[in-house]
Amino acid sequence: MLRTDEILSTIQMLHAENLDVRTVTLALNVNDCAASSMDHMCRKLREKIVSRARRLVEVCDRVGRKYGIPVTNKRLAISPASFLLAGHGRAAAVQLARTLDEAAGVCGVDLVGGFTALVQKGISAGARVVMESLPEALSQTQRVCASVNIASRKAGINMDAAGWMGQIILRIAEATADQHGFGCAKLVVFANIPEDNPFMAGAYMGPGEPEATVNLGVSGPGVVGSALKRRLQQAGGKLTLGELAEEIKITSFRVTRVGELIGREVAAGLDVAFGIVDLSLAPTPKVGDSVGEILQTLGIAQIGAPGSTAAVAMLTDAVKKGGAFASRSVGGLSGAFIPVSEDAALADAVARGHLSLEKLEAMTSVCSVGLDMIAIPGDTPAETIAAILADEMAIGTVNNKTTAVRLIPVPGGKAGEVVEFGGLFGSTTILEVRNAGASKAFVRFGGRIPAPIQSLGN
Amino acid sequence: MPPNPLVDPAMKTRFDNAYVLNVVADDHPGIVAAVGDAVIALEGNIDACSQTVLEGYFTLIMIVSFPRPVEPEALSESVRGHGAALQVIARRFDELSGSPDAYQGRFVVTAFGSDKPGIIHRFTQYLAGKDINIVDLYGDRSGEEFMLISEVEIPARWDISLLQADLEEIGREEGFTVRLQHEDIFVATNQLRLRRREGNA
Repeated sequence: MLRTDEILSTIQMLHAENLDVRTVTLALNVNDCAASSMDHMCRKLREKIVSRARRLVEVCDRVGRKYGIPVTNKRLAISPASFLLAGHGRAAAVQLARTLDEAAGVCGVDLVGGFTALVQKGISAGARVVMESLPEALSQTQRVCASVNIASRKAGINMDAAGWMGQIILRIAEATADQHGFGCAKLVVFANIPEDNPFMAGAYMGPGEPEATVNLGVSGPGVVGSALKRRLQQAGGKLTLGELAEEIKITSFRVTRVGELIGREVAAGLDVAFGIVDLSLAPTPKVGDSVGEILQTLGIAQIGAPGSTAAVAMLTDAVKKGGAFASRSVGGLSGAFIPVSEDAALADAVARGHLSLEKLEAMTSVCSVGLDMIAIPGDTPAETIAAILADEMAIGTVNNKTTAVRLIPVPGGKAGEVVEFGGLFGSTTILEVRNAGASKAFVRFGGRIPAPIQSLGN
Repeated sequence: MPPNPLVDPAMKTRFDNAYVLNVVADDHPGIVAAVGDAVIALEGNIDACSQTVLEGYFTLIMIVSFPRPVEPEALSESVRGHGAALQVIARRFDELSGSPDAYQGRFVVTAFGSDKPGIIHRFTQYLAGKDINIVDLYGDRSGEEFMLISEVEIPARWDISLLQADLEEIGREEGFTVRLQHEDIFVATNQLRLRRREGNA
């Protein structure tokens, strides 16, 4: 029999603190859609996606209703589009992106990931087509999300790809200048890209995955923040950081369990394998749903102040520990995200000048992703963007973790100006990029930064 | 679903002559021991029991069995003789012929709002009209607020979303926030082991 206090604490978590299942992402291998004719390929792709995913929204809603917890986003991720596009050209890639966009719309999902190229060691023909089509593909579609993996622990950092991505990011921003460069919010550049990540924009289905699988992302910064505040209040503020970490761990366990329950049932309802639960504290611009607020509760009055990196490290680790015990299979990114525009407290810290690009970079060395949803001046040189990518990739390859960059150069935008992306993407102040232009020679050397010594672990 | 001896049709008592005992008293130490004394005196066995205390009042429901038949009233009298100021009712226990297949699982109804007379009546009348069986009920008045938590078994024929809509509508009329959720969400978030789903190992 359930205890009354157990029921009440779950009700509090689900309803007063707005816990949701942030995303159920159905991952599909679409390699069997390859064809020499683009029309034929796109027809097969559309048919496959619609036939496998048309019940996704209905099943998620039914399971969500049964347990009284909303599945906020239903999404799709496919095997890398670059695998389909070898031997085709840029126009073909754009046609494929449009097909994905349309098929996702038919299924009622808001985003589809997997317009992806894996180029950590070199750029294949198919990957080249994906990369060069990105400005058109992302500006001419609503739902398509792209990712490019340019570094890994085993391969090092492909600096040719980094240099090119610096230019491509600027071109995407120009192609979506009427939306302040918003196209860049649908592209993530990775080191060590996870193959089972359900969160956008970086979701795709990795080569080692099954034919179809359901991966689920739970979030819950609001729940963790409230739990910490409640615990501090009960103890009159007299707690150690170890005790606070324990509270984060327990709360993460409970949040992950919600994902495990819903994920198993949705997978069974769709008759596909259940993949992983990704417990990531993924903030939204709503007050109370913020990783930045958790850092403030942990005593960092101005986010970006000394101590911020240690606080993020503790948070990320505690989240992983709680989640790992709650789920049979934890995967994806699992940790804390610090997407600036999507987190009201982080965006506020940037606006007040407390949080700089350099401090954000330091925090990404211990968070679960990287430099995320950061608006920078539109005139930032391509080589400087490439060098920011390289720095973040270095953190990932040397520390054997996923790192990622989602920068938005705002066309015509200057540091200190406020830019509004709307909805879940929020608004933020354009962050100053110091020493812009001073990395040109470094980036122009090109080639590949060799894999770090940690890669020789076999 | 965890075994619930009160509705478990497979339950076998230790002896063939089984009874349901219900005891109500002002709460004080020694009540269960007194009932135990009475059962031992008749060489019997306690097969299942559940007890709670509400606002200082004690209540106990117990299934007991004996090697020889006892008249229910004689059993009640014996229990009263072992304790002070106990209200006791005994009746014969018949093994229940429950039909668990007819239910689609156990759900939890929660309702929160400003207290007024008739709230429990309104919700339970609705549940009764749908053949929804209440297996656990808890209500508490705190200040002007009233909280109702009930575990229920829902017949397989009902669409959960329609029941949810009905309950929410009643809640709106009464000024209560009402939710109907499958109990597994509470198990998952509070207990170490997740329940295994058939067909989805």
